[in-house]
Amino acid sequence: MSTDLGAARAVDAVKTYGKGDAAVHALAGVTVSFPTSRFTAIMGPSGSGKSTLMQCVAGLDRLTTGQTFIGDVELSKLDKTQLTLLRRDRLGFIFQQYNLIPTLTAKENILLPLTLAGREPDQAWFDSIIQTVGLGSRLGNRPSQLSGGQQQRVAVARALVSKPQIVFADEPTGALDSRTGVEILSFMRRMVDEAGQTIVMVTHDPHAASYADNVLFLADGRITDEMQNPTAELVLDRMKKFEV
Amino acid sequence: MFSLAWRGVRFNIGRYVATLVAIMTGVAFFAASGFVADRVISALEGDVDRQYGNVEAAVVVDTSGDASPEAAYRLRIDGDSADAIAALPEVEAVAGDLTGVVAFLDDDGSAVSSEATGRLWIVDDALNTVDIVEGAAPVAAGEIAVDRGLADDENLAVGDSTTVLTSAGPFEATVTGITRFGEADSQDSGGTVSLPAATAFDWLNSGQVEYTALYLRGTVGQTELRDAVAPLAPAGFTAQTGDEFRDDKRVEVGGIGRLLKRALQFFSVLALLVGGFVIYNTFNVIVAQRMRELAVLAAIGATPKQLKRSLRFEGLVIGIIGSALGVLAGFALTFGMIAVLEQVGVALPGSGLEVAPATVIWAMLFGTLITLLSVMLPARQAGRAEPIEALRQAEASTVSVGKVRTIVSVGLVAVGAVGMLIGGGAAVIGISGIVLFVGVIVCGPFIAVAGSALMRPLLRGFGLEGRLAADNTARNPHRTATTSNALLIGVFLVTFVSVAGTSVRDYAVAEINALSTADFVIESTGGTVDDTLIADLQAVQGVEAVTPFRREAVTLNIEGTESSTNLSTGDIDALRAAAGIDLEEGSFDDLGTGTVLLAAGQFDSAAVGSTATFTNSVGESVDLEVVGIIGFTLDSMVTGSITDVATFDGFVGETAPTVAFIKTVSGAQSDTRDEIERITKLRPDIALNEGNQLGRIIGAVFDFIINAVNGLLLMSVVIALIGIVNTLTLSIIERRRELGLLRVMGMVDRRVRRMVRIEAVVIAALGTVSGIVLGTFAGFAMISAIDRLSDADIGISIPPVLIGVVLVVGVGLGLLAALIPAQRSTRLDVLEAISST
Repeated sequence: MSTDLGAARAVDAVKTYGKGDAAVHALAGVTVSFPTSRFTAIMGPSGSGKSTLMQCVAGLDRLTTGQTFIGDVELSKLDKTQLTLLRRDRLGFIFQQYNLIPTLTAKENILLPLTLAGREPDQAWFDSIIQTVGLGSRLGNRPSQLSGGQQQRVAVARALVSKPQIVFADEPTGALDSRTGVEILSFMRRMVDEAGQTIVMVTHDPHAASYADNVLFLADGRITDEMQNPTAELVLDRMKKFEV
Repeated sequence: MFSLAWRGVRFNIGRYVATLVAIMTGVAFFAASGFVADRVISALEGDVDRQYGNVEAAVVVDTSGDASPEAAYRLRIDGDSADAIAALPEVEAVAGDLTGVVAFLDDDGSAVSSEATGRLWIVDDALNTVDIVEGAAPVAAGEIAVDRGLADDENLAVGDSTTVLTSAGPFEATVTGITRFGEADSQDSGGTVSLPAATAFDWLNSGQVEYTALYLRGTVGQTELRDAVAPLAPAGFTAQTGDEFRDDKRVEVGGIGRLLKRALQFFSVLALLVGGFVIYNTFNVIVAQRMRELAVLAAIGATPKQLKRSLRFEGLVIGIIGSALGVLAGFALTFGMIAVLEQVGVALPGSGLEVAPATVIWAMLFGTLITLLSVMLPARQAGRAEPIEALRQAEASTVSVGKVRTIVSVGLVAVGAVGMLIGGGAAVIGISGIVLFVGVIVCGPFIAVAGSALMRPLLRGFGLEGRLAADNTARNPHRTATTSNALLIGVFLVTFVSVAGTSVRDYAVAEINALSTADFVIESTGGTVDDTLIADLQAVQGVEAVTPFRREAVTLNIEGTESSTNLSTGDIDALRAAAGIDLEEGSFDDLGTGTVLLAAGQFDSAAVGSTATFTNSVGESVDLEVVGIIGFTLDSMVTGSITDVATFDGFVGETAPTVAFIKTVSGAQSDTRDEIERITKLRPDIALNEGNQLGRIIGAVFDFIINAVNGLLLMSVVIALIGIVNTLTLSIIERRRELGLLRVMGMVDRRVRRMVRIEAVVIAALGTVSGIVLGTFAGFAMISAIDRLSDADIGISIPPVLIGVVLVVGVGLGLLAALIPAQRSTRLDVLEAISST
């Protein structure tokens, strides 16, 4: 894996909605690299373009101009099917709305990316994930029988089970109570430290951002600042500075 | 509230498309069948006015009595009676009706246009039904006029010579005129050949001056004219005024059209009912999806009544729009149907569209009513919206099957099935059938759950898509059930009609074939089986014997019980050798003057020694002593009772033979048949029947009915197809987030679409398979009930090919129905899909 360029990056990324006078720049020329085996948080107020940046890098949306890469693959060169397969084989996703398939059991939901790819799970890896997220006895249940926190654990386990190059998380704790949120975040932290997982997380919660190795601050579609080894207080201070 | 409902329709128009199409299709079928049938009826009735418009009185066969149709058919008005009527001062002009079968001889010696009708030319212009459009009326012997259609088909022009084949033999004739019948070429379906009085009686009626009916114009009023003529009408005939006559005639000719109309509309209403399932489903889904909106309304103070009313009003608007569009589509469909029929060579009588206001009104009413009824339950659901629902997460929910439904449906199915199998009367069995059917419909959600569980192993081959598709069908079993039930109804009826129909057909054909012995039967209508014909047939290679016999239609009375039958006579030994004439009781040797061999069948009580009274068509009767009972066979049906020649001569007169059995040497059938056919074709009055022909005709009639019913049921299948499209489309809207997630996780669009297709196939298969199972069972139960309640022994024939076709078509329809929803399932952008609520 090329560590110079990072696990994923964006070069002069521009995303514009609308045309002419009505044009809105969600991304106004962002160049950024997400380093391998690191936990990066993207922060910013609503409308700053943080979600758009993540979605474009993750191959869920396309840029107006500029380039995004997963490893050394340039996403704009891929068609829809190739993008889908790339997501399946190399990326993991965690959403705010747990987004589980209601007809599948917890275990089936976790294995979904592997099932889609027709791959056999690595049993040892599967077991260790299950143990870490603590779902052992709940594997046979359907999402409707699980609490919000449990559902999100299933979603996290699902994002990790295929050993993706990068996990993208969009407000993963947004719908959880604070205690459950802490558990999920600690778990994500451990995966970076112990398994060298690369994680990119979009959040507006300074406390959540404090679990990351570094934090990118976005405003009006541009990166305005960056912070290494953040704490919740430092991040909150920085955020307040934006507001003023 | 109404403006809210109206907006509901406008903003949800996308969701209502399938509903509108379903209503539209049903109403269009209904309207179109009305339009077509009305056109046929009015054309046929119009013919009556064109043909008999100037008739002021008529002397026709009295059908009010209990004379048999066959006897009535042979009744004639003799020339003297006709002359006496014509001589009345009240009568201004008389037209005698006399027709017979004629044909033309082709250059190569074979008969052509063998279905043409020869008609006595009517001299009185007002009473004549046809107009001369070219040339002149036929007057002298050897002159004929042909209608425009025949002239074109046979390349006949005024002045041409041709050979006319009649029951009296071939005659040379010259065409003097070309006729037309109003706007049509001919009044008879096979063409009309007009013959002058000079030849008509010789060619059509063995030289006898007789008429089948008289049409009169008078110098006095209709009633007065009728009363003057009535005393002179011969026995079996009655006098009517022109108006009475035309009314009767209209009912007679319009009857077929009305029957057609009723049958077509029955199937259209069935299709509309199937449409009801589609409508019900749509509104159910719409209510579920709009629960939040409804709950907000409830929260801000809308009463349940208002919510219900609002939804019903939506249903009403949709019903009216759909029905109106349906009537319009009905016009298009009518033209389409007429065009298709013309392409395959069937010209419907009449022209243009016959738009009866009643058809339009009924179509609108049915369409709207069914929509309104289908929306009742969903509307109640809407009325139950609680304000709290507004706060809940709207998810594509999983619904389970209730306990009450389980008990009720299992009970209904069990009671219905047992009732059909052991029921002791037609009413019990019929009601059991309905109970069973309702049970299966109510059972639908159950079948959906069980079916999807059963199909899961099968679908595993399709990977995750198969698995998810199976799950999705079981997810909302009610919705799946309503969708597949719409298909079930059509498939059930197709299978039921096919299984029961095929079984009865096979039984009837086998029974009939077992009864026949003579290889061929020839019968003359209006002519005789004369010596030349017999000699010609005898000369055919492979013919062993030709056995002619004399026959008369009679009424038979034994101990007060009357029935219509035949009385025949001929060479008894020859008849026994040629055909299956055998005695169950008595002896052939006893047959002498004043005795009869009675054909069994109608008179179980008749025994040797009893007295049978025969009455001929002119009302003369004779008492004969029964000396034998003829066993029932097809041949004995042809002969009827048999008496000796002297008795027959005394009762009927010295008539010529009109029927003959032909026996062929075994193994020579095919060539012999062709030769016999060639000879009999030259005599248009002779009908040739093969011994097993009745079996074949009955088989063909059954096949036709089975196919026609199945064809008409296609209407409801088409609507069921729309239902599958509808349900899947709505489900996809409901599940767009889930589908989006699968695509984010790496399910390529091709696989997403395949998942939708599999789901469609599963739904279609559920409806098809349960329809086939139910239909086969009902067919089996029906046949065994017939066997149980009568002394018949009908075996069950399950037509494997047809069931295979139904299965393939059902599942294929599922694939077809998936086209649109599958396309739509991946149309949304991934991001939009996962961010939607």
